[in-house]
Amino acid sequence: MRPNRLAILPLLVCISIATSSRGAASSADYLERVKPILAERCYACHGGLKQQAGLRLDTVALMQRGGDSGPAVVPGDASQSLLIERVSATDQALRMPPPGEGAALSPDELALVSAWIDAGAIGPPDEQPEQDPEAHWAFQRPTRPIVPAIEQVAWSNNPIDGFVAAEQSARGLTASPAATPDALLRRVYLDLTGLPPTRAELTAFREDQSPVAYERVVDRLLASPHYGERWGRHWMDIWRYCDWYGNAGSGSWWNSGCEIWRWRDWIVRSLNDDRGYDRMVMDMLAADELSPTDDESIVATGYIVRNWYALNYNTWKRDLVEHTGKAFLGLTFNCCHCHDHKYDPISQQEYFRFRAFFEPLELRLDRVPGTPDPGRFVPYGAASGGPESFPVKGGLIRVVDAFPDAPTQLYRGGDERDVAADLPPVAPGAPAFLGGDALPIEPVSLPPDAWYPALKPEVIEEDLRKADNAVVAAESNLTAATDEAGRVLATGELDSARADRESLKRRIAAERVRHLHAPGDLNQLSREASRAERLATLAREQLRLLKARQAVADAETAGNTEGLAKAQAELPAAEAGWESARQSVNEESETYSALGPQYVASSTGRRAALARWIASPQNPLTARVAVNHVWMRHFGRPLVDSVFNFGRNGKPPSHPALFDWLAVELIDSGWSMKHLHRLMVTSQTYCQTATCNADDEANRRIDPDNRYLWHFAPRRVESEVIRDSVLAVGGALDRAIGGADLPVDQELTSRRRGLYFNVRPLGFAGLGTLASFDAPDPAECYRRSESVMPQQALALTNGQLVLTQGRMLARKLSEELANSGSETASSEVAFIVAAYETVLCRSPTGDERQACLEFLQQQADLLARVGAQDLPAVTPEGLPPPAIEPAERAREGLIRALLNHTEFVTIR
Amino acid sequence: MSILRSTPNASPQVHRRAFLADLGMGFTGLALGAILHADGHVRAGEMVNAPLDGSPHFAPRAKSVIWIFLSGGYSHLETFDPKPALNTYAGKTFSETPYPDPLKSPLHDKRSRAVLTVVRDKYSKIFPMQVGYRQHGQSGIEISDWWPHLARRVDDIAFVRNMYTTDNDHAAENQMHTGRHRLDETQPCVGSWVHYGLGSLNENLPTFITLGGPTRADTRESLGAYYLGPEHDGVPLGTDPGNPLPFGARPGDILPEEQQNEYALIDRLNRLAAIEYPRDEAVAARIRAYELAYRMQTAAPEALDVSTETAETFSLYGLDNDATKLSGRRLLVARRLVERGVRFVQVYPNGYGVWDSHQKLQANHARLCGEVDQPVAALLADLKRRGLLDQTLVVFCTEFGRTPAVEERSGGTDGRDHHPHGFTIWMAGAGIRGGSVHGETDELGFHAVEPAHYVTDLHATVLHLLGLDPRRLEVPGRKRLEIDRGQVIRQILA
Repeated sequence: MRPNRLAILPLLVCISIATSSRGAASSADYLERVKPILAERCYACHGGLKQQAGLRLDTVALMQRGGDSGPAVVPGDASQSLLIERVSATDQALRMPPPGEGAALSPDELALVSAWIDAGAIGPPDEQPEQDPEAHWAFQRPTRPIVPAIEQVAWSNNPIDGFVAAEQSARGLTASPAATPDALLRRVYLDLTGLPPTRAELTAFREDQSPVAYERVVDRLLASPHYGERWGRHWMDIWRYCDWYGNAGSGSWWNSGCEIWRWRDWIVRSLNDDRGYDRMVMDMLAADELSPTDDESIVATGYIVRNWYALNYNTWKRDLVEHTGKAFLGLTFNCCHCHDHKYDPISQQEYFRFRAFFEPLELRLDRVPGTPDPGRFVPYGAASGGPESFPVKGGLIRVVDAFPDAPTQLYRGGDERDVAADLPPVAPGAPAFLGGDALPIEPVSLPPDAWYPALKPEVIEEDLRKADNAVVAAESNLTAATDEAGRVLATGELDSARADRESLKRRIAAERVRHLHAPGDLNQLSREASRAERLATLAREQLRLLKARQAVADAETAGNTEGLAKAQAELPAAEAGWESARQSVNEESETYSALGPQYVASSTGRRAALARWIASPQNPLTARVAVNHVWMRHFGRPLVDSVFNFGRNGKPPSHPALFDWLAVELIDSGWSMKHLHRLMVTSQTYCQTATCNADDEANRRIDPDNRYLWHFAPRRVESEVIRDSVLAVGGALDRAIGGADLPVDQELTSRRRGLYFNVRPLGFAGLGTLASFDAPDPAECYRRSESVMPQQALALTNGQLVLTQGRMLARKLSEELANSGSETASSEVAFIVAAYETVLCRSPTGDERQACLEFLQQQADLLARVGAQDLPAVTPEGLPPPAIEPAERAREGLIRALLNHTEFVTIR
Repeated sequence: MSILRSTPNASPQVHRRAFLADLGMGFTGLALGAILHADGHVRAGEMVNAPLDGSPHFAPRAKSVIWIFLSGGYSHLETFDPKPALNTYAGKTFSETPYPDPLKSPLHDKRSRAVLTVVRDKYSKIFPMQVGYRQHGQSGIEISDWWPHLARRVDDIAFVRNMYTTDNDHAAENQMHTGRHRLDETQPCVGSWVHYGLGSLNENLPTFITLGGPTRADTRESLGAYYLGPEHDGVPLGTDPGNPLPFGARPGDILPEEQQNEYALIDRLNRLAAIEYPRDEAVAARIRAYELAYRMQTAAPEALDVSTETAETFSLYGLDNDATKLSGRRLLVARRLVERGVRFVQVYPNGYGVWDSHQKLQANHARLCGEVDQPVAALLADLKRRGLLDQTLVVFCTEFGRTPAVEERSGGTDGRDHHPHGFTIWMAGAGIRGGSVHGETDELGFHAVEPAHYVTDLHATVLHLLGLDPRRLEVPGRKRLEIDRGQVIRQILA
């Protein structure tokens, strides 16, 4: 759909009518046609936001008063009006809007404005100038409004209902009745866990007569680990979760980083633990500064890693600024990358100040217990001497402030090559109008095992254990040796393993004193560590020499001349190495190797300052933006339509009081997401039916778009929910939580949940079920699309997922019915009911039962007529074959049809 | 080919022009034989605009586009842009010629933006043309001797010799389709904009189809719709008529009638749901989507099945010759697709990246021209004799040209490097002034002489001929820059 085009066409028609007739004359013409042009083209510099040259054009009176150059408009005479002179100037230096700030007015627009001036420049008498930008609603800290008192008893328990009912009654709207228990159960299951209820859960809920039966379900679902998966995937949309983007040929990463799934698991875990939203935001931006030794939290900086762009660090910073603004603050910083913001009071300089929070960043690879140390991160590319690709395997990817002194230099027009070298570098800061321009930024002094991860107790413990194991292994090799040559070699190996262990122990002892304030004489310990390390080298060289000599002897014995020459050629180097190691043992030295990579011992504290500012209860935007995202995913539509733009060019909230109440409630609850979910899904507003009812016509006349929530709005479920639901009703879903991402080509065969598949930009993901149902594009997905297209139908009718699960489920239900012992249980009607309750979580209506019965009969007849011998039997590999018996095979078809039922892909 | 779509910034409820009108005619009531034509597709007389497919902004000259992309970067100097000075000064450096040194032009850095830190396109030892040129047709346009078949069609063609791009590596392929350098944010590709702007002429086939081309995940930007949504993505059709579409074939162990009955049941049940949930407009759209899906399953294999073509057509396209049969088959299928109302067919006629001739340019280009010359000429001739060339725009392009100097990296002596600074594309068919040449590169074939055409000028021209104004193709919240919209190359319009 193309809302823009459709909207523009009538406008053009208006303009051509206006210009071809008399032109705009009345104050109504001004408001409808002239003012919108001025607002779009001029207000950014000559309105509430800025008053360049002292000029404002946002009321007729202000135009007549004019600015530094005198009145902009002379009523009745466009040719004498400075406004017309400047917008029609052919000299680029004089023209308004200036080149680079916007295109010239079109001839039609110019004619319209001129005609209006010629006709007397008439405006409404009570015209008000633009509001002070800083007074914009979203920039004011929310305060808790009083919940409106309402008449409906059922709607008076939940504050959400009070606000919604008040808006409805003010407009003469009537709320819909409550949904059926079946519909409500499926709705809340899918909403909170992304999985439909089982038939047993449906039966239990139907039979539960307790007044708090529904609340109990909600509590159980919120306590389920699948809640974190469901809502983790939602937040992954907003935070642009991406496993990979890069060059598939060389297997390299350009965006994101390997093992970024640790961040995904952190999201799921944090939600399940109901970690405060404020804390989550802070961890993602600055866990390395806020809890520098907590690796469980530091993986949250995967948010920053995901934005990393190997080929250009400007792009990394640009994406961080843009999406930190959109995701957490609902501010569109990207505009002021090139020029001062046209709608919000953010200057281009402030854009770069925001970027400066991220300027010192570099990636860092830490060792994951039980895996080898991945070593220091080497920037990509030939210029930096780094690898051509980034195929790092393993390791915990995180960020580090590696360049604390890196200046942030403004560049012009969004082109990083056009650096404003004449301007001084900018200091980190958030927009002044939100009070962020003077944040306290204190460098964070890091504990030793944060900047020197090899000092972590678990790492030391693991290394010592490995060294011990090496000695034990060498000892048993020696015992097992059968001949003299073997014993000599095994002894050499044992000596080396012991020396290595000794070297490690001595170096650890010295490093503990040096960095961890352990008691001891550092000089003495350093000398011992140094000597132990050199002895270990000597033992290694000794072993090498032994092996080299053994190789010569072996080759001689075997009469292998070629091998002998090769072995002899290596002997001198081995001898020289041994000799050099032997001599160095006697040197006096205190130097020895570090236990692993070391980084800067402090972090700038910039991101911690930013994180605290964003996650502060004082910030007017943070809680509102989060509430809006949660609301949208429960009610199908956000309270503020422009979910990532709460600025002046965004949309106003539909329920301002409710919105403020929820924002304050979120903050006061300790930023508890589960509290917010519980409030929303236990409201009567949420529990309304989605089916039609008697009041529809009247309601629709008043509020056709259901902006005031007079019914539950059905919506299509997300791609992952469709796939997971097919597996769940088929009984095949693997409910394992977390772990490394799965290859996309396993989407049709794996039984894990959809969120665990490798996430990559759209167009890169293949054309599986997930992609055709609007899988999220990690480049930007603040809000999912809900398309309906034939490819989806093909995926669900011909794809192996539905084929397999459909057959499995048909078989399972038939067996259950056969085993139930009831006489009528094996009838087709019983199967239809069971199928409906399992797949769609409700009983069939009479019409539906009839349609299904006719279908089963028709299919069974067809299959019997064709005969088993003529049935095609080319079952794709790995799939269960169809049932042989016609009636049973017909049931498989019925299950497939229900999996393609519109309700199956809909929350209602 | 979306039936219904709600996007960010739009009310999910906006689609008032739903398909309720269609609800009277359902699967069960519909004689399936009637929609599954004997020949399986909708003829021109029956072409329909899908309900959400807008009409063009103004009267179109073209209905469909065949966009032929030669992947890897063909040399403009050995194809369509003769530069005798290269032969005159062969072996000399640029500064030893009487012409200004193109490496010192400010245009050089403007038009060469590196992603990887490899030194590129900075060689200065002139490499002579590797093939001769001759004049052809009424127009007397010169093209190289490696195009004997195309030479007979120059009077149908408009050549644009002053194209430039800015990526000096192969992401220029994506740039040719999206209009943006790799270091900029990604934009939808041109085929997706056409899909978005116009929709389909035949609902039984995808609107934007790709044949050949990117197979690797990271090179699919050339057919990606990005923020326009996946329904506007190019749909890669395989060459196997048995299974050309993703999920396009009925499972092998299900009978045709068995599946038909299932579709009928789905339809019947969804119609009952539509009565129960009149507020859910997606139900009506979904009913329609299932009807289309069922038909697409038949229409796509039919379009790919060239067995009904005559022997004369087979040999015209070179399907009887090993060198030309791959390109020939893809281009013949392209014709069949536009004949059936597909809007935008993007064809990579021969291998992916094959034109990239850092070494042995002469042997490489001679062979590759031989693979596409006859089939491309055949396509023009075939479209013309069927009366389709008047409504079909044929575009022939690549990602960049090749350096006038010999590529000396790694001791090379016989190839040319990537060259974003100037290259040639051509167009033919609907709305194009055949037999014309527009623009030029400098004497050494280095810089496209200003005013030169950035790649989006090509997009603007294509959209213009389809009746679309790129300035009116917008999505709220997605900023399009002036450079994304381009300028129509009016000089080549008929």
